[in-house]
Amino acid sequence: MAAETVKQKRTFIQWIRGYTGQKYITTVLFLLVPLVLLILFTLIPAVNMGIFSFQKRDQLGVSVEWVGLDNYVRLFTDSSYMSTFKNSIYYLVGSFVQQGLALFIATLLCSKIKFANVFKGVLFFPYMMNGVAVSLIFRRFFQKGDGITNTEGTLNSILMMFGADPVKWLSNPDIVNFCLVFASIWRYIGFDIIMYIGAIQSISPDVYEAADLDGANAWQRFWYIIFPSIRPIVALQLILAIKGAVSVFEIPYIITGGRNGTSTFVIKTIETAFQYQKIGLASAMAIVLLAIILVITGIQKALFRERK
Amino acid sequence: MKLRKLMAGFLAASTALSLAACSSGNDSSAGSGSSAADSSANSGANSSANSGADTSSSADSLAASGEKLTLTVLTHRTDRKDDGTLAEMTKSFEEANNCTVVYQAFTDYSTDVPTMMNTTDYGDVLMIPDTVKLEDLSNFFEPLGTYDEMNAKYMWADKKMYDNTVYGIAHLGTIAGGICYNKRIWKEAGITELPKTPADFVADLKLIAEKTDAIPYYTNFANADWTLVQWASLVNSASGSKTYETDILTSKRDLFVPGDAYYEVYKLMFDIFKDPTLHEEDPATSDWEGCKKAINDGKIATMVMGSWAVSQFKEAGENPDDIGYMPAPFSVNGKQYAESTADYCLGVNKNRSDEIKELGKKYITWFVEESGFAQKEGSVCALRGSAMPDYLTDFADCEFFVTETAPEGLVGVWDAINNDSEVGTWQGDAANFKIQIAEAAFAGEGDDKFESIIADANSKWNTTRDANADFQAYIEANG
Repeated sequence: MAAETVKQKRTFIQWIRGYTGQKYITTVLFLLVPLVLLILFTLIPAVNMGIFSFQKRDQLGVSVEWVGLDNYVRLFTDSSYMSTFKNSIYYLVGSFVQQGLALFIATLLCSKIKFANVFKGVLFFPYMMNGVAVSLIFRRFFQKGDGITNTEGTLNSILMMFGADPVKWLSNPDIVNFCLVFASIWRYIGFDIIMYIGAIQSISPDVYEAADLDGANAWQRFWYIIFPSIRPIVALQLILAIKGAVSVFEIPYIITGGRNGTSTFVIKTIETAFQYQKIGLASAMAIVLLAIILVITGIQKALFRERK
Repeated sequence: MKLRKLMAGFLAASTALSLAACSSGNDSSAGSGSSAADSSANSGANSSANSGADTSSSADSLAASGEKLTLTVLTHRTDRKDDGTLAEMTKSFEEANNCTVVYQAFTDYSTDVPTMMNTTDYGDVLMIPDTVKLEDLSNFFEPLGTYDEMNAKYMWADKKMYDNTVYGIAHLGTIAGGICYNKRIWKEAGITELPKTPADFVADLKLIAEKTDAIPYYTNFANADWTLVQWASLVNSASGSKTYETDILTSKRDLFVPGDAYYEVYKLMFDIFKDPTLHEEDPATSDWEGCKKAINDGKIATMVMGSWAVSQFKEAGENPDDIGYMPAPFSVNGKQYAESTADYCLGVNKNRSDEIKELGKKYITWFVEESGFAQKEGSVCALRGSAMPDYLTDFADCEFFVTETAPEGLVGVWDAINNDSEVGTWQGDAANFKIQIAEAAFAGEGDDKFESIIADANSKWNTTRDANADFQAYIEANG
């Protein structure tokens, strides 16, 4: 019996010293770091959030009360919460414009133009910048100066060079959302362009050659070759755009603080949690947002399966 | 083979390290936003040897071995920590008590510190965040004394009190119901007497618009989440009553009633904001840092700000003597009132060794009574009998008062109704009535829009109040 265990142990040690054992150890150790971080900072908080959404609790977590589905009932009966989704429509429409523009630029960059790589770099750069920095840039960009505490922003300065009157971009509730959507497009378009370029470049050059021989013009090349080949990517991008539109946060939060009718669902969630100390209700809002995004992802998956 | 072993070892070590980093992330990273890096740099000046040991657990172990104690103090005053005022001021305390005081400053104190308070590591002495409900104080803070003891010595002793036990003393106090203005500009406009009613105030602003180049009133709307909240501090002063909010509750009346403080204060705000000649051109891109110098230079005439802003406006330019502070332009039976209120209160973390707690209490006593911090900031000192700051000359005819805490049974009820209904008398969220009123005014809407906004707030308030169990119990018990 004792001999047997010793023997077994030795084989285990041998196994661990062998190639397979070492392979497993290295894999596990490498995986351990991201997994621990993932569990610690994503999964545990997410599970907690799910639990909180059935509770009435404040930021300090004392005197917690179980309230069942009350938070969800309030969310769907009090219109002040779900109505903040209406501003997502601006961003959704903006994201369609963004996709069209990105596709156009990507097609241009894939044709034979000079300095294509420089343009790619310049266009992708905003995506690598911190969202807070981008928002601060645009806050300055749209500023209307009074000459006393601050000067005209970039946009108004340019307009004035051409003799136009400065505009109060962020004060006017009719245009402020378009300004914010513009900032959002500027920030995210680089990513779309890179995705489209990747997809377009994966098309075999033979196809273009054949098209050239047949005398296809640029539009025909785009419509009959490029577009059908990258359709899955277009679908993916549109789904991502919808997800982005329902969860807009930092650009309106930093530029306008959600005022002048620019509030979004995520801003409302933050205010509910930290201004009104309703962590339970805010958690329920976060869960609802998560559910919406899961549904959209489900639709995306279903669509892709169909294509296959 | 050897290399592989080394690699495995390295990996294991790095995993352990990253885990350690995670676990300690709780106390250090929360503060790192503003402090972690510069706190060691700053404290290095006066605590060279153990400046690194600024977590309190290591402070305890230091105490055991008979070395200098380290006291960690959490503060919201990033400015006074960065310019070295706090460290300079604390030297005498450190010498007298043979200890080291380390300050951790937070730019976003009211959100960062409550998050830290989910653990036991939230400094040794700290400004008690207002998110801690009065009934929960004993879970986090060490009792400092009974109400009678404390009240004899300090003002606002009841601010952080529950069951007659005081848990915090105000590090300084302010005169809440006041308005910052530029004396020179108001004089240039030909105004000799400060306004006593909202109508006079608006008339004076119009005079300033006509006769000077200054912006009569600066809204600071780009930072409306806190700048419009300043208006809320006028309400109690405007009412002239020590029990104003309690009375609103017990009489079961609307929050906004014409002729009453809440209505009149926000009506004044609406009236100023709706006239484009009375405020800056584009409120959505106003600039808080820029406006400090502008009011000092006389380019801005008036702003509703607490008295805490006076010293900042004075420091911002070359004309500190031009900055004045006037009472809220509301009168009750011809008399003006001004409420004095406590700012953050200092409390002692109850999860600490007795030695640290004793030192913490000594620190609070020293801070309030001897440090002179409140005087330097131009604020009111909590110690009874201290001199009033000199910028209060305009308040000569004003009666000062301290608001009484709600009677037993109604403690915390106002806040509960306020938060549940999301009316937000002290909040500045995007859907708040203050923001809505300002937006309606800027858009040039008429008084009917103002009325509909407050009617909405009233109905939310009343529905929530009537559903509040504590409130109903109080009304039943007290008729």
